[in-house]
Amino acid sequence: MYRRTLLVLVIALAVVVPLAADAQKPIKVGMPIPLSGPPALFGDPASKGAMMFVEETNAKGGVLGRKLELLVRDSKADANEAVRQARELILKDNVDFLVGTLTSAEGPAVSVVAKESKIVFIAPIPKTDQLTAPDKLHPYIFRTAANTTIEGRSAAEIVAKWPVTRVATMSFDYAYGQDVTRAFVEHLKKIKPSVQIVDQQWPKLGEQDYNPFINAQMAKKPEAIFSSIWGGFFVTYSKQAKALGVFDTVKYNFIGVGEAATPETTKSMGADYPVGIWGNSYDAFYWGETAAHRDYTARLSKYLKDEYPSSWAIQGYTGMQFLVEAIKKANSTDSDKVAKALLGLTIETPIGPQTIREKDHQANRGQLYGKTAMDPKYPFPIMKPVTYVDPTKFMD
Amino acid sequence: MPDPSFVFAQSISGLTAAMFLFLIASGLSLIFGVLRVLNFAHGTFYMLGAYAAYQLVQWLGVGPGRFWLAALGAAAAVAALGGLIERVLFRHLYGKEELYQLLFTYALVLVLSDSAKMVWGTQQKSVSRPPELTGSFSVFGATIPSYNLLILLLGPAIALAFWFVLQRTRVGRFIRAAALDRETLGALGVNVSALYTWVFVLASFLGGLGGALISPMRATTPGMDTEVIVEAFVVVVIGGLGSFWGTFLGALIYGQVLSFGILLFPRFSIFAVFALMAAVLIVRPWGLLGRPLR
Repeated sequence: MYRRTLLVLVIALAVVVPLAADAQKPIKVGMPIPLSGPPALFGDPASKGAMMFVEETNAKGGVLGRKLELLVRDSKADANEAVRQARELILKDNVDFLVGTLTSAEGPAVSVVAKESKIVFIAPIPKTDQLTAPDKLHPYIFRTAANTTIEGRSAAEIVAKWPVTRVATMSFDYAYGQDVTRAFVEHLKKIKPSVQIVDQQWPKLGEQDYNPFINAQMAKKPEAIFSSIWGGFFVTYSKQAKALGVFDTVKYNFIGVGEAATPETTKSMGADYPVGIWGNSYDAFYWGETAAHRDYTARLSKYLKDEYPSSWAIQGYTGMQFLVEAIKKANSTDSDKVAKALLGLTIETPIGPQTIREKDHQANRGQLYGKTAMDPKYPFPIMKPVTYVDPTKFMD
Repeated sequence: MPDPSFVFAQSISGLTAAMFLFLIASGLSLIFGVLRVLNFAHGTFYMLGAYAAYQLVQWLGVGPGRFWLAALGAAAAVAALGGLIERVLFRHLYGKEELYQLLFTYALVLVLSDSAKMVWGTQQKSVSRPPELTGSFSVFGATIPSYNLLILLLGPAIALAFWFVLQRTRVGRFIRAAALDRETLGALGVNVSALYTWVFVLASFLGGLGGALISPMRATTPGMDTEVIVEAFVVVVIGGLGSFWGTFLGALIYGQVLSFGILLFPRFSIFAVFALMAAVLIVRPWGLLGRPLR
């Protein structure tokens, strides 16, 4: 009798314990993002920003009583590899959601996987308009990055105020470069019809020698230049352009989008930076416009053990934040319910309130813009003054 | 008709690019010519040269002459590493099938570039132009940065020094002999094994120097190794693998085609270079100045 009771008890335990454990199972989020090669410069801090958000959330008890678990995988900035990682995260690791990818090739590729698997996918960095274009849009894809329309038009709003008419562009010949340049040119012509586009150069992605492109461009005598040469490539481009006197010739009527004025870039170049040009950035530790931002920067600085923390961490952070707020609102981890909750969702991020629009699943994510200048407080140039360009008015 | 000052500026920028490529491709060509190994890791020596120059500039600080000290130190450090790799690893490859050589040197690329990432991280690094060469000249209405001018002079100088060593010295004769018949040279009492090490050291030195000298003009980032190795391969294929002057000629052609290609095909100038390489491979598979392989 005693034995039988014990047996029943054991069987009952064997059934109940895993069930109880199931309720405590973490909510898994997969993040395929470049952690190697030049794009790791942004992928790595973005993944750390997401990780900081996850740790902070878990320290406060998690979401719906469950812990968050972030699985970060190296996508190598390659669309095929990102797709492979996304599939493996879904099939093998059973992730509930995807947040990640960086390049404009990876984002749309992983979006297809999310559509097939019916899993919510938040893209915090890829900018190409094609990611959420009407023919590519599906219920599970959302973007918390700026897109090429927002970025190109923000730059056009700034350039339109300059006393120039002859404008040239310098961009990489691939999705992002073409899309952001087209958005810039179209918007600029619309708001300032007197503008003439005198030259457009299209070096290949990752070009190392810009001299021939710069010579060809300067031969057309532009008065202002728009560049979307991004990240570490901007360091190479601007060193060569500076040596050829480009910035002096256009009297610093130069705007570099693609985060040409991030603290990372200005820090790595120091006094070699073409101080006086305009640039943009997703974040800047010195912005500090709101208490929420100052608090976030202080936490991030501690988390990354960096006095001047990365401006890219915010993208991983807000991507995760949107996901978690949607899970709370849906009160579920079911992708269909979370996807519905994300539509029109407004959250308070460290850079202010952000809304994911219902019509195109695009957040109204603007960027910080400013004219670069040296500041006695730092050993590198900063944007001064720095302003957040809210894109809400010109997103359509 | 384009403005002549622009044509001049364009040809100068093509020449500067050519001199850099020559520095890097000559080491690649030398290793192939003598050791008969296609060293895919040569671009990685170039990257390490750039990182080492960055590190030495950090340590030495900015000042007159400091950059040159850093560049030479970086090249020497890379040369020493190259010598070590040849002694311990590379020598097991001689005479093996090309597939093994390619796999091995590619593995070396991965190991070395990941090691560089562990030391210097993923953040881009930047080296300033040496203070004595931050200015620029105006020639025929074209702006030429002083630093580029120096590279323009340095390229041919290194080529000549190289040629002199190969053609006019005892060591050079041995190197040329080793390229033709390793065994006979050994039978004549020359220490071929040591000779190979020195050839590898010299080639690594050139690669490291190329990386160090380019660091003031480009960002130093992970991945710069694989970018440059493709360009260097194109140069040696056009010029002829193992041919010294062929490499020089290949670099000159590459630079000019790229420079003027963007006038003819603004978005396909890189295509022009590869088309040229394909044409050379069809007409003269051993390259413009190379010799057919036996």
